[in-house]
Amino acid sequence: MRQGSFKRLLTGLAFLAGPVCFGAQAQDYLDVEAERARSGSPTTAQPALARSYGLDSSAGPATVSRPPAPASNSEETIGNLFIQLQRLQQEVMQLNGKVEEQAYELRRLKEQSLERYLDLDRRLAGSGAPTSGNTGESTVIGMPDAGSGAEAAEQPGEGDAYRAAYARVRNQEFDAAVAAFKQFLERFPDGRYAPNAHYWLGELYLVLQPPDPEAARQSFMLLLDQYPGNSKEPDALYKLGRVHYIKGNRERSREFMDRVLRQYPDSSAAGLAGEFIDQNL
Amino acid sequence: MTTMSRVPRLAVALTLALFVPFAARAELVIEITQGVDDPTPIAVVPFAGTGAIPEDLAGVVQADLARSGQFAPVDRGDMLSLPSSEAEIFYRDWRAIDTEYLLIGRASAGEELRIDYALYDVNRQREVTTGTVTGPVNEARMLAHRVSDAIYERLTGIPGAFATRLLYVSVTRNPGGKDYYRLTLADSDGARPIVLLESREPVMAPTWAPDASQVAYVSFETGRPAIFRQDLRTGAREQLTNFRGLNSSPAWSPDGNTLALVLSKDGSPDIYLLDLASKRLKRITRHYAIDTEPTWMPDGKSLLFTSDRGGRPQIYRYNLQSGITDRVTFEGVYNARARVAQDGRNVALVHQQDGQYHIAIHDLVTERLHVLTSTDLDESPSIAPNGSMVLYATKLGDRGILSAVSVDGGVKFRLPARSGDVREPAWSTYISQ
Repeated sequence: MRQGSFKRLLTGLAFLAGPVCFGAQAQDYLDVEAERARSGSPTTAQPALARSYGLDSSAGPATVSRPPAPASNSEETIGNLFIQLQRLQQEVMQLNGKVEEQAYELRRLKEQSLERYLDLDRRLAGSGAPTSGNTGESTVIGMPDAGSGAEAAEQPGEGDAYRAAYARVRNQEFDAAVAAFKQFLERFPDGRYAPNAHYWLGELYLVLQPPDPEAARQSFMLLLDQYPGNSKEPDALYKLGRVHYIKGNRERSREFMDRVLRQYPDSSAAGLAGEFIDQNL
Repeated sequence: MTTMSRVPRLAVALTLALFVPFAARAELVIEITQGVDDPTPIAVVPFAGTGAIPEDLAGVVQADLARSGQFAPVDRGDMLSLPSSEAEIFYRDWRAIDTEYLLIGRASAGEELRIDYALYDVNRQREVTTGTVTGPVNEARMLAHRVSDAIYERLTGIPGAFATRLLYVSVTRNPGGKDYYRLTLADSDGARPIVLLESREPVMAPTWAPDASQVAYVSFETGRPAIFRQDLRTGAREQLTNFRGLNSSPAWSPDGNTLALVLSKDGSPDIYLLDLASKRLKRITRHYAIDTEPTWMPDGKSLLFTSDRGGRPQIYRYNLQSGITDRVTFEGVYNARARVAQDGRNVALVHQQDGQYHIAIHDLVTERLHVLTSTDLDESPSIAPNGSMVLYATKLGDRGILSAVSVDGGVKFRLPARSGDVREPAWSTYISQ
């Protein structure tokens, strides 16, 4: 028994078993522990241990709520509680360690992602500057940019205006959103977010009361015609399919749905198109 | 190294001898095991002397520079001339033996010892620096160390840490009887050891007051651990704690007014602050885990300590102003016994890697850990006051020895004792002159 409790103390103090500097402290620490052990620590460690591990699931709580045990058992009860407390402390320490480590990992990850973002930002800024400076004299350097969807640079105030309009969509103020996007397109007809504005107008015309499928159709067609290769193209095609269905033209609807499936088979719009065909066409 | 008389045999019956200043040859012997790849050649010419010069002063300087690992002193036997003034220097003599720098000096001993020295650049054939140090004749070695400090700083840009002292505990095994413990004070090169305390009971955790005028340590002489402080000039001793249980790991605050220590009187070991004037005690950690080995940040605003509150021993920082504790080390499963360099950035600690205990440096800014040693069972790191070297205890065979490693891991030397085990080194702050 004594050896058992000694062992327990040692595992509790696992790190004292390290190098001698800690070992030296273990020496006097164990002294303390020995005193503590003498002043009422359990000599009945084994049975208490087995029970505190809850082979009988009612044993744990029962120990606490049970009415005062006969005198002969009270020492054992205290012993049980002592062991349980020690186990809980060990567990809390380990959990504490995990929390500390995860908080640390999280902090490192945040720092890393910020670094990555800053790096990306720097690189974008770095690649943007020379092309805009060269467009005047060298079309060759400008070519690849033109190929990648002719994405325009953001104009001053454009981002804010777009976000303001989009906020109205999110707030379900659809009439105000239509007005805001129209106004946006007047101010920034060649803006970076102009294709997105056309797309949202198309969507909005469909949710207005009453809906305006023809206006929606025009918006989506405008997006397809003026911004070929835009990332919103599969969604616009799918929406055009829906618009024609609403307008009663199942044939045209099917054409657009098929186009989504053919041209963008891996897009999420293709999944929606497939479903739409199955259910409606 | 010195020409002093042999160590008088210690009376074994003496269980507790205080402040026995026995003039002795160095107890520690220095062996350089690794230097920088391209050490700077320097010739330290024996100093000319008038009066009774008690030491080979140039020899002390030469050994200091060699021990730093950054210099390759020229053998005296290779010197073609022994100048002691600029007029006597023939640069071609020194170019011939490929030395880059030349140090010459003169010493005169009267009521005081005075050393005038001058450093020359051999290739440019010009003076680099000159200087003078003066002090008591019986501090001749310390004066020579101050010359070393000046030369080292001039050539490396880092202040030297030669004119400093070491505390360490040595244990003489006594088969069949009780071991005995000695707390020893020596110069940074191991010379002039002075026994501060001798006891049949363990002595541990020696530490310096920030002005290096006092030391504190744990002694079991009363039958249980107690913290004492001892004045190095007067020898006066004071018992600071006598609590039930653990009394350990004293650490002096940078302002000298407070001692951080570890007590277990209220349960598990926790960190306390003892106000040395009022003797008031303040508990600063309160955790059922083990909190131990406090050490002060140089600004005195926070403490580092070791705790296993996360299941495994790691270094934590306690901010005295905010009362907030946060974890410092995350690499590996064992980081303990931190000591902070004066720059407040490098932390020397014991780190476990592949089951072995090594000395490592944790950078508080980059949060990176850098293992410095490859020996096992390395412990008790102590950083030189200039932040350049870490002194620590390790094992060589079955003997405990002291070893030193530069904070970049490039330079290593050992200080094995002539007999017995040596452990728990503590490198002093700069000695006020």
